[in-house]
Amino acid sequence: MNHALTIYWRLLGVQLRSQLQYRLAFFFDVVAMSSTIFLEFASLALVFQRFETLGGWTLGEVAFLYGLEELSFGIMDMVFSGFDPSYFGQEIRRGSFDQLLLRPLNLTMQVFGSKFVLRRLGKIGMGLAVFLYAQTLITVTWTPAKLLYLPFVVFGMVCFFGGLFIAGATITFWTVESIEVMNIFTYGGGYLIAHPMHIYQTWLRRLFTYVVPAIFLNYYPALYFLNKPDPFNFPAIAPFVAPLVGILALLASLAFWHFGIRFYQSTGN
Amino acid sequence: MRVFWEMTKRSFQRYLTYRAAALAGLATNFFFGLLRMAILLALYGERPQVAGLTVADVITYSALSQALIGYLSIFGWYDLMNSVYTGEIGSDLLKPLGLMRFWLAQDVGRALVNFLLRGVLIMVAFELVVDLVYPQTAVSWLHVLCTLILGWLVSFGFRFLVNLASFWSPDARGMGRFAFLSATFFCGQLMPIRFFPDWLQGWLQFTPFPAMFNTTIEIYLGTLTGTAVYLALLNQLLWAIGLLLVGQWVLQTAVRRLVIQGG
Repeated sequence: MNHALTIYWRLLGVQLRSQLQYRLAFFFDVVAMSSTIFLEFASLALVFQRFETLGGWTLGEVAFLYGLEELSFGIMDMVFSGFDPSYFGQEIRRGSFDQLLLRPLNLTMQVFGSKFVLRRLGKIGMGLAVFLYAQTLITVTWTPAKLLYLPFVVFGMVCFFGGLFIAGATITFWTVESIEVMNIFTYGGGYLIAHPMHIYQTWLRRLFTYVVPAIFLNYYPALYFLNKPDPFNFPAIAPFVAPLVGILALLASLAFWHFGIRFYQSTGN
Repeated sequence: MRVFWEMTKRSFQRYLTYRAAALAGLATNFFFGLLRMAILLALYGERPQVAGLTVADVITYSALSQALIGYLSIFGWYDLMNSVYTGEIGSDLLKPLGLMRFWLAQDVGRALVNFLLRGVLIMVAFELVVDLVYPQTAVSWLHVLCTLILGWLVSFGFRFLVNLASFWSPDARGMGRFAFLSATFFCGQLMPIRFFPDWLQGWLQFTPFPAMFNTTIEIYLGTLTGTAVYLALLNQLLWAIGLLLVGQWVLQTAVRRLVIQGG
């Protein structure tokens, strides 16, 4: 394990050095990354003056939810880049994945180290900025318990979406191409939980409660942080299962991943 | 002109062979459309109408904002840029058609395939689950047809110009990504421009972005009526001509300094 970690850090170092070679290009990429979040949030924030609330939530409360999700998704997108199905599918198609199989090293760790997209810092930074902007609009009664729990919520989302990336990557063992439907759960899921869950139609909310339990990752913790009542009357523990949901999703995906590796057949001839 | 239509036909057939990829995007577009609808409805709350748009209007707006993504290449178009970087442009310049008309022909095929496979199909899918509004008279359908074509021309003019940056910079891709991203916001694809604060709407009037997308939406929904429709169409036409002329001029300068790599 220690050896695998050393290798991971080495691979990471290589990634970082190569990405920082073209400083200007890197800078542009970071700016473009953060603009995605900025423009999307701005389009919502700018129309708030006409509407005042989003399903009863003020701009500050929505920004809290939105920033927290984007921050976490950005971290995940950076750390789990190697498993990004659209990237990993290419690796399978080109046969580059076979190279990793030949090395006497932990496979999962190698995929982790195969890509680390540093420009996602733009996304993370803008997510953080939106989250901090929320603090200027609303007064959150922070308690030590809340402050302590906050990183666990981020951790839960990173694990959860990382798990979805791993599951999507595993599917490409069979399909070769990354399957587009996965985007509904990864990017769609992210966008979904960046807004208050009670605004969605019942079937959609149930789907993301019972089938994909994303409701517990961001919405329920936010209810706790913002002292808002639970419109669905879940048990009082609901806001606190976020890290557990994340870890379970990640573990299930890793099990699926190991299962997939056993059945992997190269695309070569 | 015959060459142009031949090129268009080829391009149409070529893009039609990628139909699996076009169809695969449908599910994602559909899902995002549903989320957009939920967000707009939650913003509306009890209000029947805001800034001239009714609830049914914004539902239709959300559907259209997804349906036109492929047709207008809203998330980006890098084909010309790629041909500069691979050197393919060398053989494209030898074709019996100016470079701009060559790409215009290509884009007609691309837009048509995307309009039919992604645009129409996604509207059908939305029609099954929500109540959409449609233009009421034959004349309004004719207006919609005009505004769709003009909007596509403006979008092509803009995309062509962005791609021309590749003649000057080896990193036009990053700039392109930034330009296309900003355009989604300024053209009204993220939110109807009517909802934006007045100062922003005022500024946007002086840019070609609303003419790519927002005008089409307004004419389709019937928020513009009477002479306003014709003024909007004229506005689109002028932006299209302007962008294409600038594009042609920049292209001439660009080709003069073009160095084709390879041996």
